[in-house]
Amino acid sequence: MKSYPNLGLSASNDNNSRLSTSTTKAKFALRFIRSLKEMKKRGHVSNNSSADERSQRIKAAAYSSMAHAVGPRRAWARALLFKLQRSAKRHRVLTNMTRKRNRSCLVLRQKKNKKKKKGIKKKKSVTNGNDDVLLNQTDKLRGLVPGGKSMDICSLFEETAHYIKCLATQVKVMQDIADQLSPK
Amino acid sequence: MEIPAAVTLTGPGSVGVGSRNGESGFDSVQFGEEIQRLMTVPPESASSFTALLELPATQAMELLHHGPDSGGAPGKVAPSVSGDALCKPYSHPYSSNLTFLSDPALIERAAKFSVFAGEHSPETSSVPSNSSANLEKVKNEPMETDSNPNSSQPLVSDPVVEEKSQSQRPSVKRKEREKKAKGSSKKSKNESSEDAEKLPYVHVRARRGQATDSHSLAERARREKINARMKLLQDLVPGCNKISGTALVLDEIINHVQSLQRQVEFLSMRLAAVNPRIDFNLDSILATDNGSVMEGNLPGMVSPLMWPEFPINGNRQQYQQEWHFDALHQPLWGREEDSHTFVTPENSLLTYDSSANSASLHSSQLKMEL
Repeated sequence: MKSYPNLGLSASNDNNSRLSTSTTKAKFALRFIRSLKEMKKRGHVSNNSSADERSQRIKAAAYSSMAHAVGPRRAWARALLFKLQRSAKRHRVLTNMTRKRNRSCLVLRQKKNKKKKKGIKKKKSVTNGNDDVLLNQTDKLRGLVPGGKSMDICSLFEETAHYIKCLATQVKVMQDIADQLSPK
Repeated sequence: MEIPAAVTLTGPGSVGVGSRNGESGFDSVQFGEEIQRLMTVPPESASSFTALLELPATQAMELLHHGPDSGGAPGKVAPSVSGDALCKPYSHPYSSNLTFLSDPALIERAAKFSVFAGEHSPETSSVPSNSSANLEKVKNEPMETDSNPNSSQPLVSDPVVEEKSQSQRPSVKRKEREKKAKGSSKKSKNESSEDAEKLPYVHVRARRGQATDSHSLAERARREKINARMKLLQDLVPGCNKISGTALVLDEIINHVQSLQRQVEFLSMRLAAVNPRIDFNLDSILATDNGSVMEGNLPGMVSPLMWPEFPINGNRQQYQQEWHFDALHQPLWGREEDSHTFVTPENSLLTYDSSANSASLHSSQLKMEL
Protein backbone atom coordinates (compact mmCIF):
# COMPACT_ATOMS: atom_id res chain seq x y z
CA MET A 1 0.00 0.00 0.00
CA LYS A 2 1.38 3.35 -1.03
CA SER A 3 0.83 6.43 1.08
CA TYR A 4 1.31 10.07 0.16
CA PRO A 5 1.52 12.09 3.36
CA ASN A 6 1.74 15.50 1.70
CA LEU A 7 -1.56 15.06 -0.05
CA GLY A 8 -3.03 13.08 2.78
CA LEU A 9 -3.71 10.43 0.19
CA SER A 10 -3.78 6.74 0.98
CA ALA A 11 -4.53 4.14 -1.63
CA SER A 12 -4.38 0.40 -2.13
CA ASN A 13 -4.26 -1.89 -5.11
CA ASP A 14 -7.15 -4.00 -3.85
CA ASN A 15 -10.40 -3.96 -5.74
CA ASN A 16 -12.23 -3.80 -2.44
CA SER A 17 -10.99 -0.29 -1.79
CA ARG A 18 -13.46 2.53 -2.21
CA LEU A 19 -12.93 6.28 -2.21
CA SER A 20 -14.93 8.47 0.14
CA THR A 21 -15.68 11.78 -1.56
CA SER A 22 -17.70 13.47 1.12
CA THR A 23 -15.66 16.65 1.17
CA THR A 24 -15.07 19.29 -1.45
CA LYS A 25 -11.33 19.06 -0.96
CA ALA A 26 -11.30 15.34 -1.69
CA LYS A 27 -13.58 15.75 -4.69
CA PHE A 28 -11.44 18.50 -6.13
CA ALA A 29 -8.20 16.59 -5.57
CA LEU A 30 -9.55 13.47 -7.22
CA ARG A 31 -10.91 15.30 -10.23
CA PHE A 32 -7.83 17.42 -10.68
CA ILE A 33 -5.46 14.45 -10.53
CA ARG A 34 -7.65 12.58 -12.98
CA SER A 35 -7.69 15.51 -15.38
CA LEU A 36 -3.90 15.80 -15.13
CA LYS A 37 -3.58 12.10 -15.94
CA GLU A 38 -5.86 12.46 -18.94
CA MET A 39 -3.87 15.42 -20.15
CA LYS A 40 -0.69 13.38 -19.89
CA LYS A 41 -2.26 10.48 -21.78
CA ARG A 42 -3.35 12.69 -24.64
CA GLY A 43 -0.02 14.43 -24.76
CA HIS A 44 -1.39 17.90 -24.02
CA VAL A 45 1.20 18.37 -21.29
CA SER A 46 4.11 17.10 -23.31
CA ASN A 47 7.29 19.04 -23.90
CA ASN A 48 6.19 19.93 -27.43
CA SER A 49 3.51 22.39 -26.36
CA SER A 50 4.54 25.72 -24.90
CA ALA A 51 4.52 26.36 -21.16
CA ASP A 52 1.85 29.06 -21.50
CA GLU A 53 -0.57 26.71 -23.22
CA ARG A 54 0.05 24.04 -20.64
CA SER A 55 -0.42 26.42 -17.75
CA GLN A 56 -3.67 27.69 -19.27
CA ARG A 57 -4.97 24.16 -19.68
CA ILE A 58 -3.98 23.18 -16.16
CA LYS A 59 -5.59 26.30 -14.75
CA ALA A 60 -8.81 25.64 -16.66
CA ALA A 61 -8.78 22.03 -15.46
CA ALA A 62 -8.29 23.19 -11.87
CA TYR A 63 -11.16 25.66 -12.06
CA SER A 64 -13.52 23.20 -13.74
CA SER A 65 -12.61 20.51 -11.21
CA MET A 66 -13.37 22.86 -8.35
CA ALA A 67 -16.66 23.97 -9.90
CA HIS A 68 -17.72 20.36 -10.37
CA ALA A 69 -16.67 19.47 -6.85
CA VAL A 70 -18.81 22.27 -5.47
CA GLY A 71 -21.85 21.41 -7.55
CA PRO A 72 -24.44 23.45 -9.42
CA ARG A 73 -26.01 24.99 -6.35
CA ARG A 74 -23.50 27.78 -6.25
CA ALA A 75 -23.95 30.55 -8.78
CA TRP A 76 -20.23 31.16 -9.17
CA ALA A 77 -19.63 27.47 -9.96
CA ARG A 78 -22.30 27.45 -12.64
CA ALA A 79 -21.04 30.68 -14.15
CA LEU A 80 -17.47 29.38 -14.17
CA LEU A 81 -18.44 26.12 -15.84
CA PHE A 82 -20.43 27.81 -18.56
CA LYS A 83 -17.61 30.25 -19.14
CA LEU A 84 -15.15 27.39 -19.54
CA GLN A 85 -17.56 25.53 -21.79
CA ARG A 86 -17.96 28.58 -24.00
CA SER A 87 -14.23 29.12 -24.23
CA ALA A 88 -13.72 25.44 -25.09
CA LYS A 89 -16.32 25.61 -27.85
CA ARG A 90 -14.75 28.77 -29.20
CA HIS A 91 -11.35 27.14 -29.12
CA ARG A 92 -12.70 24.12 -30.97
CA VAL A 93 -14.38 26.29 -33.60
CA LEU A 94 -11.28 28.37 -34.09
CA THR A 95 -9.04 25.34 -34.52
CA ASN A 96 -11.38 23.80 -37.10
CA MET A 97 -11.71 26.97 -39.17
CA THR A 98 -9.18 28.35 -41.61
CA ARG A 99 -7.14 31.45 -40.86
CA LYS A 100 -9.21 33.69 -43.11
CA ARG A 101 -12.40 32.66 -41.43
CA ASN A 102 -10.76 33.12 -38.09
CA ARG A 103 -9.84 36.69 -38.95
CA SER A 104 -13.29 37.52 -40.27
CA CYS A 105 -14.98 35.99 -37.22
CA LEU A 106 -12.68 37.83 -34.88
CA VAL A 107 -13.35 41.13 -36.65
CA LEU A 108 -17.10 40.54 -36.49
CA ARG A 109 -16.90 39.64 -32.82
CA GLN A 110 -14.85 42.72 -32.06
CA LYS A 111 -17.44 44.89 -33.79
CA LYS A 112 -20.27 43.23 -31.88
CA ASN A 113 -18.44 43.65 -28.61
CA LYS A 114 -17.85 47.33 -29.33
CA LYS A 115 -21.54 47.85 -30.07
CA LYS A 116 -22.52 46.05 -26.91
CA LYS A 117 -20.12 48.08 -24.83
CA LYS A 118 -21.59 51.29 -26.19
CA GLY A 119 -25.10 50.18 -25.33
CA ILE A 120 -24.26 48.90 -21.86
CA LYS A 121 -23.28 52.27 -20.40
CA LYS A 122 -25.44 53.11 -17.41
CA LYS A 123 -26.16 56.44 -15.82
CA LYS A 124 -25.24 56.30 -12.18
CA SER A 125 -27.24 58.32 -9.73
CA VAL A 126 -25.55 61.16 -7.92
CA THR A 127 -24.41 59.92 -4.53
CA ASN A 128 -22.03 60.83 -1.78
CA GLY A 129 -18.31 60.20 -2.08
CA ASN A 130 -18.38 57.32 0.38
CA ASP A 131 -21.23 55.61 -1.48
CA ASP A 132 -19.35 56.07 -4.74
CA VAL A 133 -16.28 54.35 -3.29
CA LEU A 134 -18.40 51.45 -2.05
CA LEU A 135 -20.07 51.12 -5.45
CA ASN A 136 -16.70 51.00 -7.18
CA GLN A 137 -15.46 48.34 -4.79
CA THR A 138 -18.55 46.18 -5.20
CA ASP A 139 -18.15 46.48 -8.97
CA LYS A 140 -14.56 45.30 -8.63
CA LEU A 141 -15.69 42.37 -6.52
CA ARG A 142 -18.35 41.51 -9.10
CA GLY A 143 -15.63 41.39 -11.72
CA LEU A 144 -13.49 39.06 -9.62
CA VAL A 145 -16.17 36.57 -8.58
CA PRO A 146 -17.48 34.58 -11.56
CA GLY A 147 -21.13 35.33 -12.27
CA GLY A 148 -21.08 38.28 -9.89
CA LYS A 149 -22.44 40.79 -12.38
CA SER A 150 -25.93 39.36 -12.15
CA MET A 151 -26.10 39.32 -8.34
CA ASP A 152 -27.35 41.69 -5.72
CA ILE A 153 -24.99 42.75 -2.92
CA CYS A 154 -26.32 40.26 -0.39
CA SER A 155 -25.87 37.19 -2.59
CA LEU A 156 -22.60 38.61 -3.93
CA PHE A 157 -21.10 38.62 -0.44
CA GLU A 158 -22.32 35.09 0.22
CA GLU A 159 -20.92 33.79 -3.06
CA THR A 160 -17.66 35.64 -2.44
CA ALA A 161 -17.29 33.97 0.95
CA HIS A 162 -17.81 30.52 -0.55
CA TYR A 163 -15.55 31.32 -3.50
CA ILE A 164 -12.74 32.39 -1.17
CA LYS A 165 -13.07 29.13 0.78
CA CYS A 166 -12.93 27.10 -2.41
CA LEU A 167 -10.00 29.07 -3.80
CA ALA A 168 -8.06 28.52 -0.58
CA THR A 169 -8.77 24.78 -0.79
CA GLN A 170 -7.75 24.75 -4.45
CA VAL A 171 -4.48 26.51 -3.68
CA LYS A 172 -3.68 24.04 -0.90
CA VAL A 173 -4.30 20.98 -3.06
CA MET A 174 -2.40 22.37 -6.02
CA GLN A 175 0.48 23.28 -3.74
CA ASP A 176 0.60 19.72 -2.40
CA ILE A 177 0.49 18.22 -5.89
CA ALA A 178 3.21 20.58 -7.12
CA ASP A 179 5.36 19.66 -4.13
CA GLN A 180 4.86 15.95 -4.87
CA LEU A 181 5.66 16.31 -8.55
CA SER A 182 8.61 18.65 -8.22
CA PRO A 183 12.01 16.91 -8.51
CA LYS A 184 13.65 16.41 -5.14
CA MET B 1 -71.15 101.69 27.96
CA GLU B 2 -68.20 100.90 30.16
CA ILE B 3 -65.64 103.57 30.86
CA PRO B 4 -62.10 102.36 31.30
CA ALA B 5 -60.16 103.15 34.43
CA ALA B 6 -57.83 105.50 32.60
CA VAL B 7 -60.62 107.92 31.65
CA THR B 8 -61.24 110.70 34.16
CA LEU B 9 -64.08 113.12 34.08
CA THR B 10 -62.76 116.63 34.70
CA GLY B 11 -65.89 118.63 35.18
CA PRO B 12 -67.56 120.47 38.01
CA GLY B 13 -68.11 118.02 40.80
CA SER B 14 -66.71 115.03 38.97
CA VAL B 15 -64.61 112.50 40.76
CA GLY B 16 -61.97 110.11 39.36
CA VAL B 17 -63.15 106.61 38.84
CA GLY B 18 -60.25 105.12 40.73
CA SER B 19 -60.81 107.14 43.94
CA ARG B 20 -63.57 105.46 45.87
CA ASN B 21 -62.55 106.11 49.44
CA GLY B 22 -63.70 109.73 49.68
CA GLU B 23 -66.80 109.38 47.54
CA SER B 24 -70.00 111.06 48.70
CA GLY B 25 -73.55 110.35 47.60
CA PHE B 26 -73.86 113.69 45.82
CA ASP B 27 -70.75 113.12 43.79
CA SER B 28 -71.92 109.71 42.71
CA VAL B 29 -75.28 111.14 41.60
CA GLN B 30 -73.50 113.81 39.59
CA PHE B 31 -71.27 111.17 38.10
CA GLY B 32 -74.30 109.13 37.04
CA GLU B 33 -75.89 112.18 35.45
CA GLU B 34 -72.73 112.88 33.49
CA ILE B 35 -72.71 109.34 32.17
CA GLN B 36 -76.36 109.54 31.17
CA ARG B 37 -75.72 112.79 29.34
CA LEU B 38 -72.88 111.21 27.48
CA MET B 39 -75.03 108.21 26.61
CA THR B 40 -77.87 110.36 25.28
CA VAL B 41 -75.67 112.53 23.10
CA PRO B 42 -76.88 112.33 19.51
CA PRO B 43 -74.13 110.73 17.42
CA GLU B 44 -74.56 113.15 14.52
CA SER B 45 -73.29 116.06 16.56
CA ALA B 46 -70.29 114.17 17.82
CA SER B 47 -67.02 114.89 16.16
CA SER B 48 -64.99 111.95 17.45
CA PHE B 49 -64.44 108.40 16.28
CA THR B 50 -65.93 106.99 19.50
CA ALA B 51 -69.32 108.13 18.33
CA LEU B 52 -68.89 106.09 15.18
CA LEU B 53 -68.12 102.99 17.19
CA GLU B 54 -71.50 103.16 18.91
CA LEU B 55 -73.43 103.33 15.66
CA PRO B 56 -74.61 100.31 13.71
CA ALA B 57 -72.60 99.34 10.67
CA THR B 58 -74.90 100.85 8.02
CA GLN B 59 -75.08 104.28 9.63
CA ALA B 60 -71.34 104.35 10.20
CA MET B 61 -70.74 103.54 6.54
CA GLU B 62 -73.13 106.32 5.47
CA LEU B 63 -71.39 108.80 7.72
CA LEU B 64 -68.04 107.83 6.31
CA HIS B 65 -69.10 107.95 2.67
CA HIS B 66 -70.75 111.37 2.91
CA GLY B 67 -68.19 113.89 1.78
CA PRO B 68 -67.52 117.25 3.43
CA ASP B 69 -69.29 118.96 0.52
CA SER B 70 -72.69 117.57 1.47
CA GLY B 71 -72.94 120.17 4.21
CA GLY B 72 -74.84 117.95 6.58
CA ALA B 73 -73.81 117.11 10.07
CA PRO B 74 -72.86 113.55 9.19
CA GLY B 75 -70.10 114.79 6.93
CA LYS B 76 -68.24 116.39 9.75
CA VAL B 77 -66.24 113.47 10.89
CA ALA B 78 -62.85 113.87 12.46
CA PRO B 79 -60.51 113.72 9.48
CA SER B 80 -57.72 111.76 11.04
CA VAL B 81 -56.99 109.63 13.97
CA SER B 82 -53.47 109.77 15.19
CA GLY B 83 -51.77 109.29 18.48
CA ASP B 84 -51.62 113.01 19.06
CA ALA B 85 -55.29 113.46 18.34
CA LEU B 86 -56.17 110.75 20.79
CA CYS B 87 -54.11 112.26 23.51
CA LYS B 88 -55.43 115.80 23.04
CA PRO B 89 -58.51 116.79 25.00
CA TYR B 90 -61.46 117.60 22.80
CA SER B 91 -64.37 119.90 23.61
CA HIS B 92 -67.70 118.25 24.07
CA PRO B 93 -70.79 120.33 23.27
CA TYR B 94 -72.04 119.77 26.78
CA SER B 95 -69.26 121.64 28.55
CA SER B 96 -67.88 118.53 30.25
CA ASN B 97 -64.30 118.00 29.22
CA LEU B 98 -63.25 114.40 28.54
CA THR B 99 -59.54 113.80 28.61
CA PHE B 100 -57.75 110.68 27.29
CA LEU B 101 -54.55 109.95 29.09
CA SER B 102 -51.59 109.08 26.96
CA ASP B 103 -51.62 105.37 27.76
CA PRO B 104 -49.95 103.39 24.93
CA ALA B 105 -52.06 100.29 25.57
CA LEU B 106 -55.24 102.32 25.24
CA ILE B 107 -54.00 103.97 22.08
CA GLU B 108 -53.26 100.62 20.50
CA ARG B 109 -56.64 99.29 21.53
CA ALA B 110 -58.41 102.33 20.09
CA ALA B 111 -56.44 102.03 16.89
CA LYS B 112 -57.43 98.37 16.57
CA PHE B 113 -61.12 98.99 17.04
CA SER B 114 -61.31 102.18 15.03
CA VAL B 115 -62.59 102.19 11.49
CA PHE B 116 -59.76 104.45 10.48
CA ALA B 117 -57.02 102.06 11.52
CA GLY B 118 -54.98 101.99 8.37
CA GLU B 119 -51.96 100.08 7.21
CA HIS B 120 -49.70 101.49 9.87
CA SER B 121 -50.34 102.01 13.53
CA PRO B 122 -51.35 105.43 14.84
CA GLU B 123 -48.12 105.80 16.69
CA THR B 124 -46.05 105.68 13.58
CA SER B 125 -48.13 108.06 11.49
CA SER B 126 -46.22 111.28 11.15
CA VAL B 127 -48.62 113.10 8.82
CA PRO B 128 -50.34 116.10 10.42
CA SER B 129 -53.98 115.65 11.30
CA ASN B 130 -55.37 118.38 9.09
CA SER B 131 -53.70 117.30 5.87
CA SER B 132 -55.84 116.72 2.80
CA ALA B 133 -54.03 113.49 1.93
CA ASN B 134 -55.17 112.03 5.18
CA LEU B 135 -58.73 113.07 4.45
CA GLU B 136 -58.69 111.23 1.14
CA LYS B 137 -57.25 108.23 2.88
CA VAL B 138 -60.07 108.25 5.40
CA LYS B 139 -62.63 108.42 2.62
CA ASN B 140 -61.09 105.71 0.49
CA GLU B 141 -60.16 103.18 3.11
CA PRO B 142 -63.60 101.80 3.91
CA MET B 143 -64.33 101.36 0.23
CA GLU B 144 -61.18 99.31 -0.21
CA THR B 145 -61.86 97.18 2.79
CA ASP B 146 -65.42 96.63 1.71
CA SER B 147 -64.53 95.71 -1.82
CA ASN B 148 -61.80 93.33 -0.72
CA PRO B 149 -63.38 90.03 0.30
CA ASN B 150 -60.14 88.59 1.64
CA SER B 151 -59.76 91.18 4.37
CA SER B 152 -60.07 89.26 7.57
CA GLN B 153 -60.32 92.30 9.85
CA PRO B 154 -63.95 93.20 10.56
CA LEU B 155 -65.12 96.76 10.16
CA VAL B 156 -67.38 96.74 13.17
CA SER B 157 -66.29 95.92 16.67
CA ASP B 158 -69.76 95.14 17.94
CA PRO B 159 -69.91 91.41 18.71
CA VAL B 160 -73.55 91.06 17.63
CA VAL B 161 -72.84 92.57 14.26
CA GLU B 162 -69.76 90.41 13.92
CA GLU B 163 -71.77 87.29 14.64
CA LYS B 164 -74.33 88.27 12.02
CA SER B 165 -71.71 88.89 9.40
CA GLN B 166 -70.02 85.60 10.22
CA SER B 167 -73.28 83.69 9.95
CA GLN B 168 -73.99 85.33 6.61
CA ARG B 169 -70.66 84.32 5.09
CA PRO B 170 -69.42 81.05 6.57
CA SER B 171 -68.57 79.51 3.23
CA VAL B 172 -66.48 82.50 2.22
CA LYS B 173 -64.43 82.18 5.37
CA ARG B 174 -63.92 78.49 4.79
CA LYS B 175 -62.75 79.20 1.28
CA GLU B 176 -60.40 81.84 2.58
CA ARG B 177 -58.97 79.42 5.12
CA GLU B 178 -58.52 76.74 2.50
CA LYS B 179 -56.81 79.20 0.18
CA LYS B 180 -54.54 80.32 2.97
CA ALA B 181 -53.73 76.74 3.90
CA LYS B 182 -52.99 75.87 0.28
CA GLY B 183 -50.84 78.92 -0.16
CA SER B 184 -48.92 78.23 3.00
CA SER B 185 -48.39 74.60 2.03
CA LYS B 186 -47.18 75.65 -1.42
CA LYS B 187 -44.87 78.19 0.13
CA SER B 188 -43.56 75.66 2.60
CA LYS B 189 -42.99 73.14 -0.20
CA ASN B 190 -41.10 75.67 -2.26
CA GLU B 191 -39.09 76.78 0.72
CA SER B 192 -38.31 73.21 1.70
CA SER B 193 -37.18 72.35 -1.83
CA GLU B 194 -34.97 75.43 -1.91
CA ASP B 195 -33.60 74.60 1.51
CA ALA B 196 -32.94 71.04 0.39
CA GLU B 197 -30.97 72.38 -2.53
CA LYS B 198 -29.03 74.79 -0.39
CA LEU B 199 -28.54 72.92 2.86
CA PRO B 200 -27.02 69.43 3.23
CA TYR B 201 -29.30 66.51 4.08
CA VAL B 202 -30.08 66.30 7.79
CA HIS B 203 -31.07 62.91 9.15
CA VAL B 204 -34.43 63.19 10.87
CA ARG B 205 -35.58 60.48 13.22
CA ALA B 206 -38.58 58.56 11.94
CA ARG B 207 -41.96 59.18 13.50
CA ARG B 208 -43.52 56.77 15.91
CA GLY B 209 -44.96 53.80 14.04
CA GLN B 210 -42.81 54.21 10.95
CA ALA B 211 -40.20 51.77 12.24
CA THR B 212 -42.78 48.97 12.10
CA ASP B 213 -43.63 49.69 8.47
CA SER B 214 -43.16 46.68 6.18
CA HIS B 215 -40.69 48.49 3.93
CA SER B 216 -38.50 49.61 6.79
CA LEU B 217 -38.62 46.13 8.32
CA ALA B 218 -37.54 44.57 5.04
CA GLU B 219 -34.78 47.13 4.69
CA ARG B 220 -33.62 46.41 8.21
CA ALA B 221 -33.56 42.66 7.54
CA ARG B 222 -31.58 43.28 4.36
CA ARG B 223 -29.05 45.43 6.21
CA GLU B 224 -28.68 42.77 8.89
CA LYS B 225 -28.09 40.13 6.22
CA ILE B 226 -25.44 42.24 4.54
CA ASN B 227 -23.71 42.90 7.87
CA ALA B 228 -23.74 39.18 8.68
CA ARG B 229 -22.17 38.36 5.31
CA MET B 230 -19.57 41.07 5.82
CA LYS B 231 -18.66 39.55 9.18
CA LEU B 232 -18.35 36.15 7.54
CA LEU B 233 -16.03 37.61 4.93
CA GLN B 234 -14.02 39.35 7.63
CA ASP B 235 -13.53 36.03 9.39
CA LEU B 236 -12.39 34.38 6.16
CA VAL B 237 -9.88 37.04 5.18
CA PRO B 238 -6.86 37.05 7.49
CA GLY B 239 -6.12 40.31 9.29
CA CYS B 240 -9.49 41.79 8.43
CA ASN B 241 -10.88 41.79 11.97
CA LYS B 242 -8.63 44.67 12.97
CA ILE B 243 -9.92 46.89 10.17
CA SER B 244 -12.97 49.03 10.84
CA GLY B 245 -14.95 50.52 7.99
CA THR B 246 -16.79 48.88 5.13
CA ALA B 247 -14.64 50.38 2.40
CA LEU B 248 -11.38 49.15 3.92
CA VAL B 249 -12.83 45.69 4.55
CA LEU B 250 -13.96 45.45 0.94
CA ASP B 251 -10.49 46.53 -0.19
CA GLU B 252 -8.94 43.74 1.85
CA ILE B 253 -11.40 41.19 0.48
CA ILE B 254 -10.66 42.25 -3.10
CA ASN B 255 -6.92 42.03 -2.48
CA HIS B 256 -7.31 38.58 -0.92
CA VAL B 257 -9.35 37.22 -3.84
CA GLN B 258 -6.86 38.64 -6.33
CA SER B 259 -3.94 37.12 -4.44
CA LEU B 260 -5.63 33.70 -4.37
CA GLN B 261 -6.31 33.88 -8.10
CA ARG B 262 -2.69 34.84 -8.71
CA GLN B 263 -1.57 31.90 -6.57
CA VAL B 264 -3.69 29.53 -8.66
CA GLU B 265 -2.14 30.94 -11.81
CA PHE B 266 1.36 30.62 -10.40
CA LEU B 267 0.76 27.04 -9.29
CA SER B 268 -0.64 26.11 -12.68
CA MET B 269 2.49 27.55 -14.28
CA ARG B 270 4.59 25.59 -11.85
CA LEU B 271 2.70 22.39 -12.66
CA ALA B 272 3.09 23.12 -16.36
CA ALA B 273 6.82 23.69 -15.95
CA VAL B 274 7.28 20.41 -14.12
CA ASN B 275 6.68 17.59 -16.58
CA PRO B 276 3.97 15.71 -14.69
CA ARG B 277 5.14 12.35 -13.43
CA ILE B 278 1.98 11.21 -11.74
CA ASP B 279 3.18 7.94 -10.34
CA PHE B 280 0.17 7.48 -8.11
CA ASN B 281 -1.29 4.06 -8.61
CA LEU B 282 -4.75 5.56 -8.92
CA ASP B 283 -6.05 3.39 -11.73
CA SER B 284 -7.73 0.95 -9.40
CA ILE B 285 -9.04 3.78 -7.22
CA LEU B 286 -10.53 5.59 -10.18
CA ALA B 287 -12.02 2.35 -11.48
CA THR B 288 -13.61 1.36 -8.20
CA ASP B 289 -14.87 4.83 -7.44
CA ASN B 290 -18.58 4.67 -8.12
CA GLY B 291 -18.84 8.44 -7.94
CA SER B 292 -16.64 9.03 -10.94
CA VAL B 293 -17.98 11.18 -13.77
CA MET B 294 -17.32 10.49 -17.40
CA GLU B 295 -15.22 13.36 -18.64
CA GLY B 296 -15.86 14.98 -22.00
CA ASN B 297 -13.09 15.30 -24.53
CA LEU B 298 -12.90 19.05 -24.77
CA PRO B 299 -9.87 20.23 -26.72
CA GLY B 300 -6.91 21.49 -24.80
CA MET B 301 -8.19 20.36 -21.44
CA VAL B 302 -10.12 17.65 -19.74
CA SER B 303 -13.24 19.16 -18.35
CA PRO B 304 -15.97 17.09 -16.75
CA LEU B 305 -19.43 16.82 -18.23
CA MET B 306 -21.46 20.00 -17.99
CA TRP B 307 -24.74 19.86 -16.19
CA PRO B 308 -27.83 21.72 -17.26
CA GLU B 309 -28.54 24.90 -15.34
CA PHE B 310 -31.42 24.40 -12.95
CA PRO B 311 -33.03 27.08 -10.86
CA ILE B 312 -31.70 26.95 -7.34
CA ASN B 313 -34.68 25.94 -5.27
CA GLY B 314 -32.90 23.76 -2.77
CA ASN B 315 -34.86 20.85 -4.16
CA ARG B 316 -32.56 17.88 -4.38
CA GLN B 317 -34.80 15.88 -6.69
CA GLN B 318 -34.16 18.22 -9.57
CA TYR B 319 -30.53 17.26 -9.60
CA GLN B 320 -31.09 13.55 -9.18
CA GLN B 321 -31.65 12.85 -12.83
CA GLU B 322 -29.56 9.80 -13.50
CA TRP B 323 -27.57 10.16 -16.67
CA HIS B 324 -26.33 6.65 -17.40
CA PHE B 325 -23.25 6.26 -19.47
CA ASP B 326 -22.44 2.58 -20.07
CA ALA B 327 -24.88 1.82 -17.24
CA LEU B 328 -22.21 2.78 -14.74
CA HIS B 329 -21.52 6.48 -14.43
CA GLN B 330 -23.70 9.04 -12.76
CA PRO B 331 -23.01 12.68 -12.10
CA LEU B 332 -21.26 13.14 -8.82
CA TRP B 333 -23.35 16.09 -7.79
CA GLY B 334 -26.48 13.90 -7.93
CA ARG B 335 -25.54 12.24 -4.68
CA GLU B 336 -23.45 14.78 -2.90
CA GLU B 337 -24.30 15.86 0.61
CA ASP B 338 -25.76 19.23 1.39
CA SER B 339 -23.09 20.15 3.88
CA HIS B 340 -20.02 21.53 2.17
CA THR B 341 -17.49 20.90 4.89
CA PHE B 342 -13.89 21.79 4.34
CA VAL B 343 -11.21 19.41 5.50
CA THR B 344 -8.46 20.70 7.71
CA PRO B 345 -4.88 19.92 6.69
CA GLU B 346 -4.69 17.31 9.43
CA ASN B 347 -7.50 15.26 7.91
CA SER B 348 -6.70 12.93 5.08
CA LEU B 349 -7.48 14.07 1.57
CA LEU B 350 -8.60 10.73 0.22
CA THR B 351 -9.44 8.28 2.95
CA TYR B 352 -9.15 4.55 2.60
CA ASP B 353 -12.37 2.71 3.22
CA SER B 354 -12.46 -1.07 2.95
CA SER B 355 -15.95 -2.18 2.09
CA ALA B 356 -17.33 -4.93 -0.08
CA ASN B 357 -19.47 -2.63 -2.22
CA SER B 358 -16.93 -2.48 -5.01
CA ALA B 359 -16.75 -6.27 -5.26
CA SER B 360 -19.93 -6.23 -7.28
CA LEU B 361 -18.17 -4.47 -10.15
CA HIS B 362 -17.29 -6.94 -12.85
CA SER B 363 -13.84 -7.23 -14.32
CA SER B 364 -15.19 -6.42 -17.78
CA GLN B 365 -16.53 -3.12 -16.51
CA LEU B 366 -13.18 -2.38 -14.91
CA LYS B 367 -11.45 -3.07 -18.22
CA MET B 368 -13.86 -0.75 -19.99
CA GLU B 369 -13.19 1.91 -17.39
CA LEU B 370 -9.43 1.58 -17.75
